[in-house]
Amino acid sequence: MSGLVLRILDNIESYICRTLLAIFVILLFAQILSREFFGYSFSWSEELATYMFVWFVFFGASYAARLSAHNRVTFQFKAMPKRVVHIIEGIADLFWLAFNVYFVYLSFNFVFFKMNVFWKSQTLGIPMKYVYLILPLAFTLMSIRIIQVNYMRLVKGIDIRDPDQQEVEKFMEDGGAKP
Amino acid sequence: MEGTIVFILFGSFLGLLILGAPITVALGVSALISFIYLDENPIKFVQIAFTSVGSFPLMALPAFILAGALMEAAGISRRLVMVAESFAGPFTGGISAATVFACLFFGAISGSGPATTAAVGMLMIPAMIDRGYDKGVASSITASSGSLGIIIPPSIPMVIFGIAALGMQPPPEAVEKYGVFQTVSIPKLFIAGVLPGLVIAGSLLVMNYIICKRRGYSGSAEGFSARNILCTLYQAFWALLAPLVILGGIYSGWFTPTEAAIVAIFYTLVIGFLIYRELNLQSLFRSLETTTWLTGRVLLILFTATVFGRLLVENQIPAIIAEAMLSATQNTYLIWTMLILFLLFVGMFMETLATILILTPVLLPIAYNLGIDPVHFGVVMVCALGVGFQTPPLGENLFIASGISNISIEEISIKALPFAAVNTVAIFLIAFFPEIVLWLPRAFGY
Repeated sequence: MSGLVLRILDNIESYICRTLLAIFVILLFAQILSREFFGYSFSWSEELATYMFVWFVFFGASYAARLSAHNRVTFQFKAMPKRVVHIIEGIADLFWLAFNVYFVYLSFNFVFFKMNVFWKSQTLGIPMKYVYLILPLAFTLMSIRIIQVNYMRLVKGIDIRDPDQQEVEKFMEDGGAKP
Repeated sequence: MEGTIVFILFGSFLGLLILGAPITVALGVSALISFIYLDENPIKFVQIAFTSVGSFPLMALPAFILAGALMEAAGISRRLVMVAESFAGPFTGGISAATVFACLFFGAISGSGPATTAAVGMLMIPAMIDRGYDKGVASSITASSGSLGIIIPPSIPMVIFGIAALGMQPPPEAVEKYGVFQTVSIPKLFIAGVLPGLVIAGSLLVMNYIICKRRGYSGSAEGFSARNILCTLYQAFWALLAPLVILGGIYSGWFTPTEAAIVAIFYTLVIGFLIYRELNLQSLFRSLETTTWLTGRVLLILFTATVFGRLLVENQIPAIIAEAMLSATQNTYLIWTMLILFLLFVGMFMETLATILILTPVLLPIAYNLGIDPVHFGVVMVCALGVGFQTPPLGENLFIASGISNISIEEISIKALPFAAVNTVAIFLIAFFPEIVLWLPRAFGY
C-alpha cells in the first residue's frame, strides 16, 4: 500500500502533466473543429489552453529534474571516474538549489503580497494569483527532486541517467541489424 | 562598467557550465548575480518566468514533439522509409541515396534530427549492409543525413528560433542604416528551410556518389521493381498524406503551425488506432511522457535564457560585439565565415535547442547590425548547428547509428567527415547566397 503511494508520489508531476497535455491538445482540437465546421470560436479556449500549458511546462521541468534530464555540458568529465563526476555535479546542483529557493521566495512574495488581488484573466475571469501559483509550487517541487536525485546517486548509489543517454544506450545494447 | 558586467555575466555562466551545472541553471544563476550587481529588481524573474512561457505560438513545440513520437509509434515513419527504399533501384550508390531521400521525407513529419536517424537507420543501415556496403559507410551516411530532419520543415529548432526571435525588434540604428527588416514568423521559417534542406541533401548525394563509385557499390541487378514501388506506395498511402496535411495546412493558411501539429496528432491517432492498428494505449502514454520532460527541459531554458538575453540587450552587449566585428572587417563574406565557424564550434559541444535559445539574443542583434536578414540568419544558424549532430563529442546521430550497426563511434565519425565537409560547404553557399533562403518564402507571398 505504502509502496503504491510512494510510486504515485514519485511520478506525480508526470501524471499531472500527461493529463494537462491531453486536455489542452483536445481543447485546441475542439476549437479548430468548431471554427472550421460551425464557424464559431470560443473566446476562452485559447486562454485556458495557454494557462494549462504554463502549468504543464513547469511541472514538466520538475519531472525532467526527477529524471535528471536537464542538459549539462559534460565533455570535460569524460576522463573522470563516475563517482567523482557525480560529486562535482552534486556541488553544481547546490547552485541550482540556491537559485530555486530564492526564486520560490520571490514568486511566493509576488503572488501573495505584491500582486494586485483584483487582477483577473481577460476572458475567464480567474484571479491571476491562482495562475501564477504554479511558480512557487513547481520550483519547490523541483528543489525536492534535486535533493532526491542527489540523495539516490550519492548515498544510495543508484545511477540515474538522462533519458537521452538511456535511449542511446538502449540502441547500443540492442545493437545489430534488426529487420 | 560595461566591461565588468560582461565579465560577471559570461564568467559565472561559463564557470557554472564547466562545473557541470545544467545549462538552464548556469544561465539563471549568472543572470541573477548580474541583477544583484546592477542593483536591479529581481521581481522581473517572476514576470519573465510566466510571460516567456505563456505564449500561444509556443504550444507548437509540445504539439510537434507529441506528433513525432506518435507517428513513430503508429508505424507512419517506418512506411515512409520503405517507400524511399523501394526507389533505390539500379544506380551506383542507389540504396544510400535512398537513405538521404528517406531523411528528406522523414524530415517532413519529424522535427528532430536524432529521431530521424533512429527511424531511418533502423531500416536502411541493415538494408545497405545487405547490399554489400561497408558497415561504417552505411552508418556514416545515415548519421550525416539525419540532420536534414531539423532543416526540412516542420523543424523544432526553427520553432525555437522563431520564438526567440519574435520578441526581438531590430535596433533602430540598424533599421536606419539598412531599411526595414522583414518580420520573423514560424511559417515563414518553415518555408525558408525547404531549399536549403535540398541544397544540403544535394551536397550529401554528390559525396555519396563519389564514395560509392570509388568503392564500387553498384545498384541491384534487377533494376526498378515497379511492383515493389507500387506496393510500398499503396501501403504507405496514409503515411504519405501526413506531411501533406501538416505542411499543406500551414502553407495554405488554414492552420497556424500549432494547429497543424494538433491536427497531425489527431490524424496520427486515427491512422494508428483504426487503420494501421499499431498504436496502443501504452505507447500513447509513453509518447505523452516523453513530450512532458522534453518540453519541460527546453522551456525552463527558455525562461532563464530570456532573462539572460534581456540583460545582454539592456547592456548593449550585442551592439558592441557587432561594432567590433565591423571595425575588424566590412566584408560580409568574412563576417559570415566567422559566424558559421563559431556556430559549428558551439554546435559540437552543446545541445541544439539550448544553443539556439542562448545564442539568438546575442547573435540576432549582431546580424541586424550587420544588415543580415533575420530569416536568412535563422536558417543558416539551424543548418550550422545541425552539423553538430554528426560530429563528436556530442553527435547524437553518431551514437544512434553506432548502436544500430555495432561499429565504433570513432570509425563512423572518421567516415562521416567527408559528409560533414560537403555539408559545411553547402552551409557557406546558403550563407553567401541569401536568395536560396529568401526566394521561396517571397514566392509564397510571405
